[in-house]
Amino acid sequence: MKRLLACLLGVALACSLSSAASAKTYVNGIDANYPPFSFVGEDGNPTGFDIEAMNWIAAKMGFEVKHQPMDWDGIIPALLAGKIDMVCSGMSISPERAAQVAFSDPYYTISKLIVVKDDSDMSAEQALNGKIRLGVQRGTNEHAYLEQMQQDRKLPFTLRPYDSPPMAIADLLNGRIDAAALDSAPVNNAIAMGRKIKSVGTFAPDDNFGVAIRKDDAELLKTVNEGYRQLKADPFWKELQDKYLSQK
Amino acid sequence: MDAFLHSLTTVFNALPYIAQGAFVTIVMVAGALSLGFLLGLPLAVAQVYAPRPVRMLVGLYVWFFRGVPVLLLLFLFYFGLFNVIGLDLGMIGSSCAVLGLASAAYQSQIFRGSIQSLPSGQFKAGRALGMTDMQCIRSVVLPQALRISIPAWSNEYSILLKDSAMCFALGTPEIMARTHFVASRTYEYLPLYIAAGCIYFLITLAGITLLRRLERRVRIPGCAAPDMTGDSAGGMQTGI
Repeated sequence: MKRLLACLLGVALACSLSSAASAKTYVNGIDANYPPFSFVGEDGNPTGFDIEAMNWIAAKMGFEVKHQPMDWDGIIPALLAGKIDMVCSGMSISPERAAQVAFSDPYYTISKLIVVKDDSDMSAEQALNGKIRLGVQRGTNEHAYLEQMQQDRKLPFTLRPYDSPPMAIADLLNGRIDAAALDSAPVNNAIAMGRKIKSVGTFAPDDNFGVAIRKDDAELLKTVNEGYRQLKADPFWKELQDKYLSQK
Repeated sequence: MDAFLHSLTTVFNALPYIAQGAFVTIVMVAGALSLGFLLGLPLAVAQVYAPRPVRMLVGLYVWFFRGVPVLLLLFLFYFGLFNVIGLDLGMIGSSCAVLGLASAAYQSQIFRGSIQSLPSGQFKAGRALGMTDMQCIRSVVLPQALRISIPAWSNEYSILLKDSAMCFALGTPEIMARTHFVASRTYEYLPLYIAAGCIYFLITLAGITLLRRLERRVRIPGCAAPDMTGDSAGGMQTGI
């Protein structure tokens, strides 16, 4: 028992020492179910477009970053509670979110696609105006947008919220929903992986991705904005896009 | 066949990663069960023997923690209370604490049931021998009550194990969270969930087997658990 206690103390001490000695460490909360922007790689470590971009920025701007997979529903509360310092994980800038947190300058623009099975002949128009089951990722901009749209125009579709885009796509392939309304990046990723789905058009204006940061953390916001400015000027930016976002 | 092989390889490759989640789950459940035991036992004793105001307070505690879903408790404590009082236990620590507090409520009722199932003569006999109330509880009531509690307690173990899957809401990298991550990358939902189910099943089986063994080990010779209830009804004629 004593030895165990000594071990624990040693570990705690080592942790506190190492954090004191190195540069400031920021924790980036991520949705690890959002390939290709943020997901868990084969080695069990977080990876993806956003992860590599933030690692590059951290190295350039002289801070440490740790990527922390979290549940998407709890990610803004976690940020506000100081459990994490930023969310760089394909988060769309929205007025509702911007009321609670600050966003970096937009770093990526994404379109909103209606996706159906490969062999379906449904159009985006039919999907939105038909009496169908429409999948969407819960708690996202597109979810809010579709709910609003449905209310305003009395549209007959039934919304089926899912935890993550891959789950919506899996259920689309299972035939439990007729179409899904999703961000273009995970859709292209799924198509690149050989899922038998296709996009038939958009349903909402494009969204911009930004890094969410607490409003009182102006210093980090400045650092991140400067980091993206430098990253976009670097050839690595193109490399990242080719690696993760190319449409095969 | 090809697809099957592909699924199998995916699951196989993901196993080490998911197994690390099993370690997190076990640590979390062990911590929560211990905390639940350390809190639940005094709560049970208080609810049986303490004066009325204390009994009501315990009742309030039990009522709250049994009445609110675990997922809500996790959010409430992690983002709310722990934060307000400045307590930073980390994710695994917080999950452990919340599961433990909730488990204490359930465990207290398991122990209370066992204590009250003992014939009241046991306590009175202790008092007649000149023991204090505390001595009676410690050396007469609890040794018997805890033994009877083991079967019900093993229930609490397996329920808590499965409740621990909800701790992903805080970002705790346990079995379910990791399975989900791999599934999002590979789209092999069904095979991965089956694998995760098997892991949970194995952990449950291991725990239940251990508790069964404990139950047999600590059994008082000649005094099987069912006899005790017979004892209360029939006085001395059983067991002779």
